[in-house]
Amino acid sequence: SGQQSVTGVESADDANSYWQIRGKPARPCQRGSAIKCGQAIRITHMKTGRNLHTHHFSSPLSNNQEVSAFGESGEGDDLDVWTVQCEGVYWERDDPVRFKHVGTEVFLSVTGEQYGHPIRGQREVHGMSSPNQHTWWRTMEGVFIQPSQEPLRHDEL
Amino acid sequence: MAKKAMNICNVCCLLLYITTAVLASRDFYKILGVSKTASIRDIKKAYRKLALQLHPDRNPDDPKAQDKFADLGAAYEVLSDEEKRKQYDTYGEDGLKEGHHSSHNDIFSSFFGDFGFMFGGNRQQQDRNIPRGNDIVLDLEVTLEEVYSGNFVEVVRNKPVAKEAPGKRKCNCRQEMKTTQLGPGRFQMTQEMVCDECPNVKLVNEERTLEVEIEQGVRDEMEYPFIGEGEPHIDGEPGDLRFRIKVLKHPVFERRGDDLYTNVTISLVEALVGFEMDIVHLDGHKVHIVRDKITKPGARMWKKGEGLPNFDNINIRGSLIITFDVEFPQTQLDDQQKDGIQSILKQESVQKVYNGLQGY
Repeated sequence: SGQQSVTGVESADDANSYWQIRGKPARPCQRGSAIKCGQAIRITHMKTGRNLHTHHFSSPLSNNQEVSAFGESGEGDDLDVWTVQCEGVYWERDDPVRFKHVGTEVFLSVTGEQYGHPIRGQREVHGMSSPNQHTWWRTMEGVFIQPSQEPLRHDEL
Repeated sequence: MAKKAMNICNVCCLLLYITTAVLASRDFYKILGVSKTASIRDIKKAYRKLALQLHPDRNPDDPKAQDKFADLGAAYEVLSDEEKRKQYDTYGEDGLKEGHHSSHNDIFSSFFGDFGFMFGGNRQQQDRNIPRGNDIVLDLEVTLEEVYSGNFVEVVRNKPVAKEAPGKRKCNCRQEMKTTQLGPGRFQMTQEMVCDECPNVKLVNEERTLEVEIEQGVRDEMEYPFIGEGEPHIDGEPGDLRFRIKVLKHPVFERRGDDLYTNVTISLVEALVGFEMDIVHLDGHKVHIVRDKITKPGARMWKKGEGLPNFDNINIRGSLIITFDVEFPQTQLDDQQKDGIQSILKQESVQKVYNGLQGY
């Protein structure tokens, strides 16, 4: 589609692989608050400020649905929203989760197709209509912000 | 008379002996410079400030620097832990259970990162040739309440760390030209990949908790670096993790530098006859406002010292500037009310026509 590509890479030491979990457009979530299973989120690429996005375009290698990175400084459009699916009440860090797109209903997945030059070896990330073993994701390296206490107020002493 | 003097002398000596005996165990509150009722946040703040000042690398000429620094670490370790603090308050340092010595390095690095020697905010310039992993810059949203009172944010950093592994690996790979002789006078030049052999390294994920301080008066875009907490580099040092402060908008107060601006809508009656009210500030304390004169729409009240603390000197505060606007009655007045108002106010008809847009 001409938008920024999103690919899977094997190296674990690339700062270009960090994504930030944020709230829906116009509904910011509070720093440190836990994300509920089923909650709608945006996944923003930290280096470029673009949101994980999908739409009715075919992906180049596998003919699934194309997943791209879209927007400026964290603001794109309504096709940037995904719901996180997991067991239990909250998204626990070690849980395998699925990401289902709000709008086109596809699941974020990687099935292994590799690009050639100039991004040789990088895997295609796309959307698939049904959940399967390729649609599970898990958080790995990252910076996880804990909930804070409110700054103390004088009238509580 | 002499007997009395001697008794007093004895008592003094006894007191002196007792106080010195007690002082043999360390006063952790004094070391951190906090009161006995200090909150955990005050303790973290005090530790962070003193750790930068007392680090032995910063005081190479002080022979006692190591001891002072060690005392600081011990004080923080005890007072930052609820259990240990209770024990210490009741029984003193000797009453603490054994086996409580977590490394001071761990405490220091949770505030400053893995290398910690970031004086002046810059890495030492000796490592120009060592390759460095990527830096990670993360926006940290803070509320105006946090800018006013300060706060600590705990962050768990899960990162890949280079560890030794068995065997060797290829490193410093580069293309080199190789010449082979095919026959007398005939040579062929080919490009070949040549690598060195290095000890094998694998990346293992590790976790640690970091303490990010939101200092009072912090400004937008200010950064708090944690050395070595960025991305690893297989052949070199890890990069840094930097938190960039982003101050969120507030529904009541607007920040301009160290000053705070707010608006209050009062009724027409209050504007004419006066009023009394409280504005709840960012930390909950109330700012009391009294007016007994007429308040015009757009009137501003300046409250010195009720703004934000200045980042460089938190004893200086900006001002709170309150702008008033007036809400007129919603219902129309009947003739009787109109007459009543005209007779009470006794204001002459004005009806001045002028260009209001020039210079505004």
